[in-house]
Amino acid sequence: MKKLRVTVEGKVYEVLVEMLDEGTAAPAPASSAPVTTASITAPVVARPAPKPAPAAAGVSGDVLCPMTGKLMSFDVQIGQTVAEGTQVATVEAMKMNTYVYASKAGKVLEFVAKPGDTVEEHAVLLRIG
Amino acid sequence: MAISPALLQELEEKRKTLYLAGGADKLAERKKKGLMSARERLDAFFDAGTFMEFGLHVQHDCQNFGLAGKPMPADGVITGVGYVEGRPVAAYAQDFTVGGGSLGSKHAQKICNLMEYAMKAGMPFVGVNDSGGARIQEGDEALSGYGKIFFRNVLASGVIPQITVIAGPCAGGAAYSPALTDFIIMTKKNAQMFICGPEVIKAATGQTVTMDEIGSAAAHAAISGNIHFVAEDEKHALQIATKLLSFLPSNNVMDPPHKPAATVTLDRDIEMNELVPEDAKAPLDVTKVISRLVDNGDFLEVQKDFAKNIVICFARIQGISVGIIANQPAHKAGTLDIDASDKAARFIRFCNVFNLPIVNLVDVPGFLPGVVQERGGIIRHGAKMLFAYASATVPKITVIMRKAYGGAYLAMCPVDMGADAVYAWPTAEIAVMGAEGAVKVLFKREITSAADPSAKEKELTAEYRKKFCAPYEAASRGFITDVIEPAQTRGIVAMMLRNTLSKRETRPPKKHGNIPL
Repeated sequence: MKKLRVTVEGKVYEVLVEMLDEGTAAPAPASSAPVTTASITAPVVARPAPKPAPAAAGVSGDVLCPMTGKLMSFDVQIGQTVAEGTQVATVEAMKMNTYVYASKAGKVLEFVAKPGDTVEEHAVLLRIG
Repeated sequence: MAISPALLQELEEKRKTLYLAGGADKLAERKKKGLMSARERLDAFFDAGTFMEFGLHVQHDCQNFGLAGKPMPADGVITGVGYVEGRPVAAYAQDFTVGGGSLGSKHAQKICNLMEYAMKAGMPFVGVNDSGGARIQEGDEALSGYGKIFFRNVLASGVIPQITVIAGPCAGGAAYSPALTDFIIMTKKNAQMFICGPEVIKAATGQTVTMDEIGSAAAHAAISGNIHFVAEDEKHALQIATKLLSFLPSNNVMDPPHKPAATVTLDRDIEMNELVPEDAKAPLDVTKVISRLVDNGDFLEVQKDFAKNIVICFARIQGISVGIIANQPAHKAGTLDIDASDKAARFIRFCNVFNLPIVNLVDVPGFLPGVVQERGGIIRHGAKMLFAYASATVPKITVIMRKAYGGAYLAMCPVDMGADAVYAWPTAEIAVMGAEGAVKVLFKREITSAADPSAKEKELTAEYRKKFCAPYEAASRGFITDVIEPAQTRGIVAMMLRNTLSKRETRPPKKHGNIPL
């Protein structure tokens, strides 16, 4: 059982949630990568981060690093509205720039990494909401 | 004196009943779901009116569990030969309306007979799978049926092209016949392929997983790499099979269906020059290079969603049917990793066994560094590419576009691995490693003892880069056939393909090599 507080239109509700799978359901195994079936050409959502990430991990607004390297730049501004597939960041790895694209349309909310940082594969670079 | 009308009527009636498959109601139900019947699938695949059926009247002889005397039209699988774009092809389609398309001994025998026929006659073999699995009433007979099919899949491998369409369920052992064929095409909807389903996984391991996550076309195309093409629906799947066959010979002793023009055009293609970024670090989308290299920008990409850091495709270059293997710098910097090596190696071997010349487009910074790669066995996986290239005796033409570093350079078929010609663009960088890394190893003492170590390092790096980040050092040692302008690529590759078509290379006789797996 888990007690959650939910706010709907300013009104606070307390709800009890029963986790039916609790006990057997260990953290999602890395092998069960979520697959998008809607469109095969759409990038398949990356495997979940190996370490248990903060609550928001896995939400498609998180733009993940495609390969370990150095974050060169963010190619958008905070607050900017971007379409899905917009180039949002550049990572340098293996003597080559790799462009990172928006995983969904929305507004750029937050830069999680810093330009110049070494970023790991699947680390969150920025958030779009 | 004419044949008795009664006999003709009897034949007509038998055909009518058998064509109704599992019954008019079941066929109607399928239609309502928007699915084609097994017969409609074969009709859609073959040129109109060319399908000749084998074994329409075959019946099972199972007496167990209520099957005695139960009719199973065509025993749940339609087999035969027809023409696809004018060339003969053998094909079967499992009929889900007949006992759920289940595989019994006669069903298996029909598939085996057709496969043997296709091998003798030297024609491609295409299967449309839509089956609930083994016909369990037949017990071991059904299991034996699968075994006999697998055995023939292996005998036919490298003799005739084998293509499987998955257009329905394909579970457990049944998935291994497709896996033994050359290409798998799977429909987006209504098709699942898996060894153990979600329920078995849950019972055995406690892991919760959905069918889509393990068995869908999307999962197999992008993650497991089990399939080669994703189709919108069954009709599209058969169109992909037709397109694929258009590049392939009917068997291993024939040449691919080249369509060479009388003359080779050597026109320069200025736009190819424009595709090459000035900045060596800016990624180059290699599919754009392929589009300009091949006829009408038309190429059929294989395993498009799997290991995107390497692109493999079939195309024609001034009429010559080829297989292209190209690094994709726009994905994972074009590095070679475990999946990319597996993907490329199997494709190279397919091209070799069916006499398709190979064209390699190189822009590779190296093997992908990482613990996962090392522990995952990148050594034995990367070795597959070396093995496949070295053992291929078809024409091999390599174009080094930009980066060609270290072991990954060797894995992309340079002259030492048996390339017949290696062309380099002026942007080619052929070196054992990157300048920064090389200088740190070579000049460690000079740098640390210099008055200004960082300036010294920069100076030495620039010197190293000037020497090796250009094709001329390699060309001066004879590793490069010629340095060419990107604009010349299509014309020169086309001419080289023409004059290597009669290439003959013999190897020491042996059963087979021992490719690292």
